[in-house]
Amino acid sequence: MTGMLRSPVVQRLLKVPPSYVVFALLLAILWSARPNMVNFNVMGIFIRQVAPLGILVLGQLLVMRVRSIDLSGGGVILLVNYFIASGTFPGARLPFFIALAIVIGTLVGFFNGWMVAKRRVSAVIVTLAVSIILIGIVQFLAGGSPPGDVPAYFGEIYNTRLGSVPTPVLFWFGMAALMWLFLSRTIFGRFVTAVGENAEAAYFSGVPVERTVILSHTIAGLIAGIAALVQTASISVGSVRVGLDLPIVAVAATILGGVAFGRGDGGVWGPTFGVLSFALLFVVMTVFGLPEPGKQIAQGVIILLAAVLYGVRTAKAN
Amino acid sequence: MRQFFLDIVTGQRSRQGLWVLPLLMALAIVAFLTVRTGHMLRPDNLLNLLAQAMPLIITAIGQTFVVLVGGLDLSVGALISFSTAILALGGPAWILIPAVFLLAGLVGLINGVAVARLNVHPIIATLAMQYIIVGVTLVLRPVAGGSVPRVVIESVGGTFLGLPMQVYWGVVVVLVAWKLLHGSRFGLHLFAIGGGVASGAEDAAHNVGVAVKRNVIFAYVASACFAAAAGIFLAGRIVSGDPTVGNGYEIYAITAVAVGGTQLSGGIGSLHGTIIGAMVLALLSNGMTLLNVSPFVQTAIQGGILLLVVAMQTRRKMGL
Repeated sequence: MTGMLRSPVVQRLLKVPPSYVVFALLLAILWSARPNMVNFNVMGIFIRQVAPLGILVLGQLLVMRVRSIDLSGGGVILLVNYFIASGTFPGARLPFFIALAIVIGTLVGFFNGWMVAKRRVSAVIVTLAVSIILIGIVQFLAGGSPPGDVPAYFGEIYNTRLGSVPTPVLFWFGMAALMWLFLSRTIFGRFVTAVGENAEAAYFSGVPVERTVILSHTIAGLIAGIAALVQTASISVGSVRVGLDLPIVAVAATILGGVAFGRGDGGVWGPTFGVLSFALLFVVMTVFGLPEPGKQIAQGVIILLAAVLYGVRTAKAN
Repeated sequence: MRQFFLDIVTGQRSRQGLWVLPLLMALAIVAFLTVRTGHMLRPDNLLNLLAQAMPLIITAIGQTFVVLVGGLDLSVGALISFSTAILALGGPAWILIPAVFLLAGLVGLINGVAVARLNVHPIIATLAMQYIIVGVTLVLRPVAGGSVPRVVIESVGGTFLGLPMQVYWGVVVVLVAWKLLHGSRFGLHLFAIGGGVASGAEDAAHNVGVAVKRNVIFAYVASACFAAAAGIFLAGRIVSGDPTVGNGYEIYAITAVAVGGTQLSGGIGSLHGTIIGAMVLALLSNGMTLLNVSPFVQTAIQGGILLLVVAMQTRRKMGL
């Protein structure tokens, strides 16, 4: 028995991130309860709803790989949403808004990275403070009430499909594939791994540690800007509350996906499946008619159980 | 000599972290408000301020224990709401109050065991716990209402020997926390564990004979019990159970802890720092309300202060 446990195959299986297990279990439950719901058309609609979260996770996993964290995504989403919905820029068109979101996200991300890497300030606090400031600014500008409507073309693009797959989902998976290539095929990807494993050792091996952390945060900010565009398209209205809990949920999805601070076992697809299992969890709970409190409890219990199983296994593997 | 004073002000080499600067900041706010409004230092305003700040002070003190060992507790906000909901269930106070502490202790125990023994990341463990507690609270009390026992209301709103009750709350909480953190082996061990975590030598405390796992579990239990006490205080103020009254307290508490000079990487911090941090936040919101600043601008300014204070706390290591 112990011999079997030590075999490389079993050891590898034990390291599978919990997100895959949760996803497979939920899919099996849904398949047995409502087999007619498990098809591209229905699932596509549910998965489309978590596309902003899924995109945000791509940035989160990058900064968590270098032992940092980014909680400022909520503020970025709110600010971009405000600029699009409030009519601050009359006559602005889609390319302008895309550029605006990317510039805002990149600037915020660069600021976060500079504070974390150069000033050595706590990443939790810096990104949290940035988020609080941005939220305060937006709520002040909007006077506490929803700012207005989002131009119609955002909703139109969001509702398009390629075959039976919604475009936002394709876009999300395309970005995930890009991030996967970026981390596995570029020198920067190796720097990220090196800094995460041991920043000091990386420094003495000639890895530009500070630059790697700053760049990771900048890219995470840029991705948060893109997530803000998709989130705005998905709700199609201005809001002073949209996306506030997304960053912390993104952290949860990332850790369930097998990426922890400084460790990247789950790669890009583990966290992506973490987001997919959140979407599926929502579907399953709705199918079974769970009331709101029950949903909260089930969500908490499942996250905790998955994390405990994974934690115990990785502790034994070490 | 100049270096000596600079070190004190910026808390550069101190185990207690940067707390002199926030203290100067708090005094500056008090001085400014005294000049601008005139009634800042009147006893009734000070007592009112203390009562407003008390739930945050209590929660932030609890959070300090967890942050000192390099953890985070995101479940405290939900626990505050949960405590008010339990108190509003109806029943004798001598059952409800111990029940609140017992249940909170259980929550802290689960958090601590998950983090220390089962190797779950603190953010995940306490976030999952937050979801669970929010759900249970919504089952107990879907909307605000109910009534809490008279004893609880009087223990918060009444007076004793001529002094309002919030003064006694403050004294008791500070004494208990001081004994735990700066007057016991438990507190010393927390600093030892956190110091090791912060400097990358996670086994350091274990190797000198500190029961790391047990102490970390106690830290989470302490955080949960302080949050329960904050919930009891709030229940006495709002006189009912409210499933949303604690929303956001986990963020305020972490903010107060950070402003008070406790470092989130662990091992550096102090009780008085946390109290000062919570008072800075309370003074800011009290003062800006007196000056008719929009609550939204207040949010932004609090974020700016947080950024400013942590920017002063330079560390050697990068990260959380």
